Amino acid sequence: MLLISVAGLAADFERDVRPLLARKCFGCHGAGLQKSHLRLDRRADMLRGGESGIPAVVPGKSADSLLIRYVSGTDPKLVMPPAGPRLTAAEIALLKEWIDEGARWPGEAETVAAKADPRLAHWAFHAPGKPAVPATRDAAWVRNPIDAFVLSKLEAKGWRPAARATDGDLLRRMYLDITGLPPTIAEQDAFRGDFEELARELLARGSYGERWARHWLDVVRYGDTNGYERDEIKPQVWKFRDYVIRSFNSDKPFDRFVMEQLAGDELPDANAETLLATGYARLGPWDDEPADPAEDRFDQLDDVLNTTAQGFLGLTLACARCHNHKFEPLTTKDYYGMIAVFNGLERPRNGRTELDRPIGTWAEIDRFNEREKKIAGLREAAKAEWAAAAGVDVKKLSKEQAKAMAEALGKLPVEEEVARLKRETADLPRGYFMEERSATVKPTHILIRGKATSPGPEVEPSVPAVLAKTQPTFAFAGTRTSGRRLGLARWIASRENPLTARVIVNRVWQWHFGEGIVRTANDFGVMGDKPSHEALIDWLAVWFMDNGWSLKKLHALILGSNTYRMARTGNAAYAAADPENRLLWRMPYRRLEAEAILDSALAVSGKLNPAMYGEFVYPKMQKEALEGSSDPGKIWKPFEEEKASRRAIYYIVKRSLMVPLLEVLDLCDTARPAAKRQTTSVAPQALQLFNGDFMNRQAKYFAERLRREAQGDAARIERAYRLALARRPRAGEREAMLRFLRTGSLEEMCRVILNLNEFAYAN
Amino acid sequence: MRIKKTRRDFIWQTGGGFAGVALLDLLTRDGRVSANSILAPKKPHFAAKAKRAVFLFMNGAPSQVDTFDYKPELTKYNGQAYKGPLAVGSNGRPVGYLMQSPFEFKPRGKSGLLISDLFPHTSKFADDLCVIRSMYTDTAAHASGCLQMNTGSIFLGKPSAGAWVTYGLGTDNQSLPAFVVMTDPRGGPIGSASNWTAGYMPAAYQGTLFRSGAAPLLDLQPPAGVDDRTQRQSLDLLKQLNEEHLAARAEETELAARIQSYELAYRMQMEAAAVVDLSRETAATRERYGLDDRLTADFGRKCLMTRRLLEKGVRFVQLYSGGGHIEDTWDGHNDCITNHKLHAGETDKPIAALMEDLKATGLWDETLLLWGGEFGRTPTSEGVGKPGRDHDWHGFSMWLAGAGVKGGQAIGATDELGFAAVEERVHVSDLHATLLHLLGLDHTKLTYFYQGFNQRITGIRGEVVRKVLA
Repeated sequence: MLLISVAGLAADFERDVRPLLARKCFGCHGAGLQKSHLRLDRRADMLRGGESGIPAVVPGKSADSLLIRYVSGTDPKLVMPPAGPRLTAAEIALLKEWIDEGARWPGEAETVAAKADPRLAHWAFHAPGKPAVPATRDAAWVRNPIDAFVLSKLEAKGWRPAARATDGDLLRRMYLDITGLPPTIAEQDAFRGDFEELARELLARGSYGERWARHWLDVVRYGDTNGYERDEIKPQVWKFRDYVIRSFNSDKPFDRFVMEQLAGDELPDANAETLLATGYARLGPWDDEPADPAEDRFDQLDDVLNTTAQGFLGLTLACARCHNHKFEPLTTKDYYGMIAVFNGLERPRNGRTELDRPIGTWAEIDRFNEREKKIAGLREAAKAEWAAAAGVDVKKLSKEQAKAMAEALGKLPVEEEVARLKRETADLPRGYFMEERSATVKPTHILIRGKATSPGPEVEPSVPAVLAKTQPTFAFAGTRTSGRRLGLARWIASRENPLTARVIVNRVWQWHFGEGIVRTANDFGVMGDKPSHEALIDWLAVWFMDNGWSLKKLHALILGSNTYRMARTGNAAYAAADPENRLLWRMPYRRLEAEAILDSALAVSGKLNPAMYGEFVYPKMQKEALEGSSDPGKIWKPFEEEKASRRAIYYIVKRSLMVPLLEVLDLCDTARPAAKRQTTSVAPQALQLFNGDFMNRQAKYFAERLRREAQGDAARIERAYRLALARRPRAGEREAMLRFLRTGSLEEMCRVILNLNEFAYAN
Repeated sequence: MRIKKTRRDFIWQTGGGFAGVALLDLLTRDGRVSANSILAPKKPHFAAKAKRAVFLFMNGAPSQVDTFDYKPELTKYNGQAYKGPLAVGSNGRPVGYLMQSPFEFKPRGKSGLLISDLFPHTSKFADDLCVIRSMYTDTAAHASGCLQMNTGSIFLGKPSAGAWVTYGLGTDNQSLPAFVVMTDPRGGPIGSASNWTAGYMPAAYQGTLFRSGAAPLLDLQPPAGVDDRTQRQSLDLLKQLNEEHLAARAEETELAARIQSYELAYRMQMEAAAVVDLSRETAATRERYGLDDRLTADFGRKCLMTRRLLEKGVRFVQLYSGGGHIEDTWDGHNDCITNHKLHAGETDKPIAALMEDLKATGLWDETLLLWGGEFGRTPTSEGVGKPGRDHDWHGFSMWLAGAGVKGGQAIGATDELGFAAVEERVHVSDLHATLLHLLGLDHTKLTYFYQGFNQRITGIRGEVVRKVLA
């Protein structure tokens, strides 16, 4: 009790505080050394804090000051000073008093302008202007501005772009690129050389959405199950996949697509579709038996934040969870400001069992919920009535009594009333998404060193300061939710946001060309890849926004360029100077994704079941592949063949047991937002593609089809090439096949064709 | 502060390694590996004895006080309630009284290492074992526990230790998988393939399931009705057509690599089949591995196949003892005593036979062995009056042996009852750091750039346990 300083004698900075700090702190946090980037010998630095991003001292609030927390040993894992005698109780009291009185520091300015941070000038942190389209010496090659940007860079080196691909090659390239399926023979025959028309036609097909939705599912870490021990199926989650397919097919403006996923429940015109879209937040893995529930809550929020930051903004903001980002100008305050945006979200569940929710407009949902309440009330009342009449306690029914009651109730007028209510207000379909249950959100704190049990200062919802000179408004609270996600969504989907449009046009570019203009599609920060064509990506971003954020218009622009139409021909001199083809002197080779390889095989064999949408399917799986599962008997119930012969986007994405053929062909990480598919070539791929059941079945059907559709070996070989490779065999190829067929079977020949490099690598 | 991914990083991540380009060039000229095979052998960070590793994973979590952590105090307090400070029990399971081990501990070998009667065969190698008695982990659930022991993280989607080692060292034999996993016939571990996944790295680094039947690898054999001659003819045709296609695109290494992958697959068919063919083993070998005893036959086969895989240059082998649920694994909730007699009985003799053979062939000096489960078990019984033990993540035992390991010692200690590691505590990440170190890899340098930063198996933790090192 002697610790309190003598009344009236306020803690004097020069006499008491500075000598104490100098003795205990300045050695590591002073002019010479700044451990954890923290400096305590200047007031402004003290208030700014070190790499934790949290002020060491909050004037007037000793309880919120990290300095006090650490010197007083509140946190046993972090006590300051780390060596030598600890501060005495009197010394701690002195510091508290000084802080509570305002942490006055005579002679020091209240704030000092932060040192100019060169990272703030990073290109991607500033909204793109629309660069002028450069002039080129060869004007004839330029079909649209994309070509001008690409060609001007090539001309600067004295280079020429590769020759145009042949019509045949370009036809197959465009079919596979846009629909993920090769052209049929009828389509090959009908084609008259108009690629503009072809692009329009392909983009209008449902198969476009089935291919391009899968690209987006990579970004949003889509999975049908939760992973971990039980790996439970996420109820109704496949409707999110269908929502994405529909969105691509209807050319939903990308800004709207963003808003629906982030805040579909908060939009003024919220409906069944937009509620399904908010399933976005709930797609990640989920451990229903977490090691530490408090940490788990923040892990789940981190999953949503990380997907949002990387997926929409190309930012590795999740690195700022425990300390300021080591490389990017992103702070823990930025991180937790964004956590605050999502902090109202809850996972509908009953213990470990996840629940779905009705979908519709809010008016429909309210009516439906009201109906359910009424029905429950009617039935409760009827039960009570019956129990009273029968003289039994409704809460302690025996099995027989319960049965008798159920039978009796079925005959009572109450069920007629229930039926009437159900006629009046129809059932609603259900969906899988997180929900906010209140317009107010509990306070969000910066977590010291990322620990859920160590709350630091409270933060308001915000977006990373480096991207917004003024914070957007989050004041959209309605009666149901806080409206914070709507605030974030509107900001992300706005023209003012420097990243959103650039990030998506870059992704689209990458999905067409194999590499993005920025090769790190999820990282546009200072650590990210430098754009190969900075002016082009900016021009495209602005053009994209000017054209209503329409992805189909963007595709059409790209497909219409001569850049896209280049052949993949090599050039030794260019390759020596630019081995990675950064300047786009040709179209690069790239293997089809796993799904497109499987889908193409089905299309060629004639067995592709074109049914769109619906619940996932279990394809046939090698029973040996189940051996590693903890529950081999139950885990996989394959569908009958016709029902399973759908496009691979409809295959179940089961996190503990991925379809081996997809997995070995480099399906993406499903736990985090995937920037890009890998391409590897290893023996187990060849084993599955050459020996495996799926490809051998398709080879068999392919052969049967050839026998049906053509007579004689020569005609069948011709037809096989046209179906699989959209071209006629060359003389040497025809000869080789004919020779092979003298002893080999047509099935064997078909197996070889489905395994050709050219089958997986379009020209 | 500006740290850029360099071309060197790029080559390393795509398979080149430190001396990447030159080495790759050399190997390509030898025709040993394809031009861009991401599994090409790579030099370690520093010279190390261990070239390969075997992880004997005792799935379900063995009890430390019944195996390698002798606790006389437990006998003294047998039947009394635990009054210590630790949270006991997982998932709301009932907590019983302290329960002594029914197994006798004896000093073994010259070192006098204390090992229980559960392991009469492994005990003969006591002077080779380095037991860590002070292991601890962050989770009490099997799913996240197995994930953490295998990948360093309780979260899904991180690469497993075998994948990291394969990424770091490549493999010497392209005709066999670099990282082989053999599960228990009763089922795989909880989380299945998440335990041997390559996570965010290319799938080429993931563990490949190897079975004991005639077709140990998925789709290893040609489809029914296709004989070897037809298979070869078809592959020849494929090769011919692909090579003609490549001729016009000679600089496309990806296309060349894909051609080669079919040839490797064909060789794999022979090599892998040879590994599982145990028909020519002598009666003495069969006896030593317990192949003719129902109890030991399965794990015995796995250990014998492991020896052959190691001889053929496979980099990392992981064997699972126990699979499916609860008592089919080491998860002795109901009756830990009977459970451990069964699972130790199944594995003890085969493991000893493997060690004996590794010593006889000289592979011992290049091979690292690691034994243990995802956590330990409580010194208390689970509920009153039944001999089960619940999960204990505060303290448990594992052992290492073989290349680079100082045997005949026990490191660290749990408290007097065996609940929690108290002396020289070793976190799972420390174990991973040590495992990599023994293989010549620095866990702070073995990184993979993903999600904006250099990922490590040890995250931001991990200290090499120096005492382990010979």
